[in-house]
Amino acid sequence: MNKLGRILLVEDDPKDVELTLTALEEYNLANEVIVARDGEEALEYLYSRGKFKTRSNDNPSVMLLDLKLPKVDGLEVLKQIKSEEKFRMIPVVVLTSSNEEKDVVASYRLGVNAYVVKPVDFHEFVNAIKELGVFWAIINEPPPGSARK
Amino acid sequence: MAQSAEVKVARSKPRLRIAQSPVLRYGLAVLSVSVALGGALLIERLQLRNITLFLFAIAVAAWYGGTRAAVLALLLSWISFDYFFVDPSHTLYVSRSDIPYFILFALFTWLVSWFSSVRRRVEVDLLQAHAKLEIEVSERSSLLNLTHDTIFVRDMSDNIRYWNRGAEELYGWTPEQAIGKRSHEFLRTVFPSPLEGIQAEFLRTGRWEGELKHTKADGTQVIVASRWSLRRDERKQPISVLETNNDITVRKRWEQEIQSLNQELAKRSTELEAINKELEAFAYSVSHDLRAPLRHMASYTELLQKKASSTLDEKCSHYFLMILDSAKRMGNLIDDLLAFSRIGRAETRKTLFSLTQLAREALTEVRDDTEGRNIAWKIGALPDFYGDRSMLRLVLVNLISNAIKFTRTRTQAEIEIGCVDGKTDDLIVFVRDNGVGFDMKYVNKLFGVFQRLHQSDAYEGTGIGLATVQRIIHRHEGKVWAEGVVDSGATFYLSAPKPRGDLRKP
Repeated sequence: MNKLGRILLVEDDPKDVELTLTALEEYNLANEVIVARDGEEALEYLYSRGKFKTRSNDNPSVMLLDLKLPKVDGLEVLKQIKSEEKFRMIPVVVLTSSNEEKDVVASYRLGVNAYVVKPVDFHEFVNAIKELGVFWAIINEPPPGSARK
Repeated sequence: MAQSAEVKVARSKPRLRIAQSPVLRYGLAVLSVSVALGGALLIERLQLRNITLFLFAIAVAAWYGGTRAAVLALLLSWISFDYFFVDPSHTLYVSRSDIPYFILFALFTWLVSWFSSVRRRVEVDLLQAHAKLEIEVSERSSLLNLTHDTIFVRDMSDNIRYWNRGAEELYGWTPEQAIGKRSHEFLRTVFPSPLEGIQAEFLRTGRWEGELKHTKADGTQVIVASRWSLRRDERKQPISVLETNNDITVRKRWEQEIQSLNQELAKRSTELEAINKELEAFAYSVSHDLRAPLRHMASYTELLQKKASSTLDEKCSHYFLMILDSAKRMGNLIDDLLAFSRIGRAETRKTLFSLTQLAREALTEVRDDTEGRNIAWKIGALPDFYGDRSMLRLVLVNLISNAIKFTRTRTQAEIEIGCVDGKTDDLIVFVRDNGVGFDMKYVNKLFGVFQRLHQSDAYEGTGIGLATVQRIIHRHEGKVWAEGVVDSGATFYLSAPKPRGDLRKP
């Protein structure tokens, strides 16, 4: 199976980070995951600021974004990415606990590429991550300039 | 009124009018004095005899007796004057030099008679006009007394001139007590704006309307809707004010009550809105924050189970299974509860749609649950429904999947969806099954949140389905109810207002 390129995982809950990484490992889907613990860090990574000053130039091939984040929340991050020419093409998947209609609507209005509600069942969660990986790694053609190994 | 009547009389008798032209007027004065002078000179020349008493007699006769009496008095005066005072005395002989006396008598008689006849005519006219006026006035005031409105008339110095029975009834003062009083002081009038302004507008337009506060004889205050009309005389000078008042105290009190109720209502709905917002925030937080730890618990348990699976005995595996089952169940509960709360918060988007079509869609949705089952479906003709289509779809899905669930033990399940043809304005739809039914003494528990009539291991479910159904139907101004017999099936009914004629499809 092709590997998904570099993933930017924006998630504040360490348990969710661990579980997502475990799920990705389960199917050997990613060998490089950047974790941003809040919206600000995610933006710092994209703009190569702060602790990500020296990151490589290519963009992540997909971004997994939680909505409820400290400092800058997920919808704000999404808004900034989609209004910036050089980041607009990065596929963004909202991965969240919320299945509130208003969140779904707001995300799609801002141009999200997919909206996934984290299932309670870990098995289903792993499946969801796997399907995401397969889609973004195999089916989807990433925009030029993405990190794909 | 008397004034105008006099004017009318004067108009119809032009001879009483003063001469219009000044030449005539002053000419008359000069002429009459000249005539008097001439007369006086004549009388002096004729060596005046005492005729004054006879003239007086004729005048009295003419004034009080009329023309014929005057003529008789004239004749008698002639004869007596001739007989007693004209030489030769005690004869009726008349010498030429005496003739002017007789002519003077005649002229005087004619003059007095003419005056008195004119006076009499005027007097009769006046009496008639007065009588007519009296009738008119009494008719009018009795008419004014018939009305329930409060009517009084005041002159331009604010003195009350007329006071009808309505005024007596409202204020408690008789006409005798009220007439002659200054109305604003008497009634302690409270004006909505300064009186000067009101008065100015009133004199300009001749009308005024507004709300006044008056104090009654018993000291209580009344609020009246007051209408003033100005009466003017011939020369357009204002002469009196007709004030008509309606007691609106009770209406005002109602209005105030309604206003305060409205304010209260506005306050309540603002509060309610705030509470709703809070509830929304709460639901959102439940959706996000409550699910996360649950998901973590379930996920780590599953990971643990996977890692340790080789060393676990059957009992331990069972425990893991139970933990995961509970986590999943709680996840479902949270989801259902959220869906339930969302129905309460969501706006209903109402359209007219076919229930038959919707029932077909609902059946497609529950097809998975009917796998391997033997179900006889009976779907009658369903009416059109005016409401939120997606909500109604949820209602039908809930009711149908309940019916499927509770007929599980039947080798031949029968499920009927139909419509009761009621003559009322509501349409009634039902879903009937031949399943395990329920005991009617628990019927009021059916539609409560988390209420279940069956043990959870016998029939799965969160206990929110029927509560959701009820909430949706309530939001459509309808009702839900159920009938059941233990082991003989159940029927769930819903009613909702029939779509109005103008909503029907063309």
